Amino acid sequence: MSNEVYAFALKSTLEEIKNACPDVASNFIFKDGKVIAKDKDTEEETAIKTITAFDALTERADTIGDVEKITIRSAEGKVDIANINDFYLTTVSSKEADEKYVNTLTRILIPIVIKVAEKIQPASTENETITIGQTELEEENEVEATKETDDATEGTVDQTADEVEDNENNQSEEETATAEPEEEIEEPEPEIEEEPLLPEPPATQLIVENLSGLLVPSDTVRVDQEVIKQWNELYEDTKLKEVEVEALNGKTTRCKFKQIKKSKDSGKGIIKMPEKIQLTLETQQGELVTVKPIIE
Amino acid sequence: MVKKKQNQETATPIMVDEDELSVTQEEDLTYKDLSDKLAKVRKDKDIIGYIIRNTTSATVDLQEPEKIVEYAIFSSQVLDSSQDISDIFELGAVSSVLIEGKESKALCMNIEGNKISIFMEKDADEADILKQISP
Repeated sequence: MSNEVYAFALKSTLEEIKNACPDVASNFIFKDGKVIAKDKDTEEETAIKTITAFDALTERADTIGDVEKITIRSAEGKVDIANINDFYLTTVSSKEADEKYVNTLTRILIPIVIKVAEKIQPASTENETITIGQTELEEENEVEATKETDDATEGTVDQTADEVEDNENNQSEEETATAEPEEEIEEPEPEIEEEPLLPEPPATQLIVENLSGLLVPSDTVRVDQEVIKQWNELYEDTKLKEVEVEALNGKTTRCKFKQIKKSKDSGKGIIKMPEKIQLTLETQQGELVTVKPIIE
Repeated sequence: MVKKKQNQETATPIMVDEDELSVTQEEDLTYKDLSDKLAKVRKDKDIIGYIIRNTTSATVDLQEPEKIVEYAIFSSQVLDSSQDISDIFELGAVSSVLIEGKESKALCMNIEGNKISIFMEKDADEADILKQISP
């Protein structure tokens, strides 16, 4: 079930990345040695061969720790294999590809899709549990009704032999049996109450750019509008006002945010930051920070 | 009577392929040039060490000499697997590979038959190092 959810969401994303960047020749995602999703132009065999070569490499990588990213530059193009939330995204691009653009797209889109898919998957599993629980309850209620009218176990066709014996044996056990459905009724209720909970805020990596000027508020960062659009889609009914920014050194700060004004800077995966916030985070232009919306 | 021993020497003719000789000499020159550049790069505090090898020579300079074998195997594996991956997608010869781990990273290159691996801290500027090493 989980793989299907991921596969569907990721496959669509990979196709979109290819549409947006025609220089991307092939892209696919794998996890634990298995292909999770791939674009339509990538053959399964090609992906498997790549995973085999990658595994051979990672087996010897103790000296540098767990492999997070590999960038292979060849005469005719480039291959990137990056670890994103335990998934490995492989992107094959031509020499002409705009490296920054491809990286920005993949770094933003794939983690968001993975997180969204993670949120969808437990929700659907919960729904399944509730349905099963309800069906069992209905069956058992029918059984009890039959017992009351007939005072015999013959009508309880759906019950197992053990349950029939238990019912015949003594009244106390019947009481326990009748208590069980009540417990099961209580269990699904909190899960239903939890459904309106909002998904965990997605963390997005953005590149810091300086934000200066006389009228620039020192407590507000400007975030790539593509990222804000994703957040708004994720939290349709919630008004997002602030973000939490975390630098690579682990320092975090909370500040207001607005979208980047200039359309030419849109989709580049950048965050414009006043000097004051950069000092707080001990970061600077060109460095990566993780940004996530604060949901209140 | 003392018999004099006669030493008979037979000279084996050696065939020298001039092209091969010039290639080897060229390789040696590149090797020396690269070794000098690597020694310079090694002085950077973010550099953990390096390995350079070609068909005839090899130089290893690492912070942890006891791990030479591990580093050498890893270095070789990176270049082999990367070339395999490049071949799968028909991208031709690999020029450089950057592999980032949780603890450190490595930049591997193949320059005119000289296989180089530079191991560095995560904060190191690999683009600058690549610039310094590239011919």
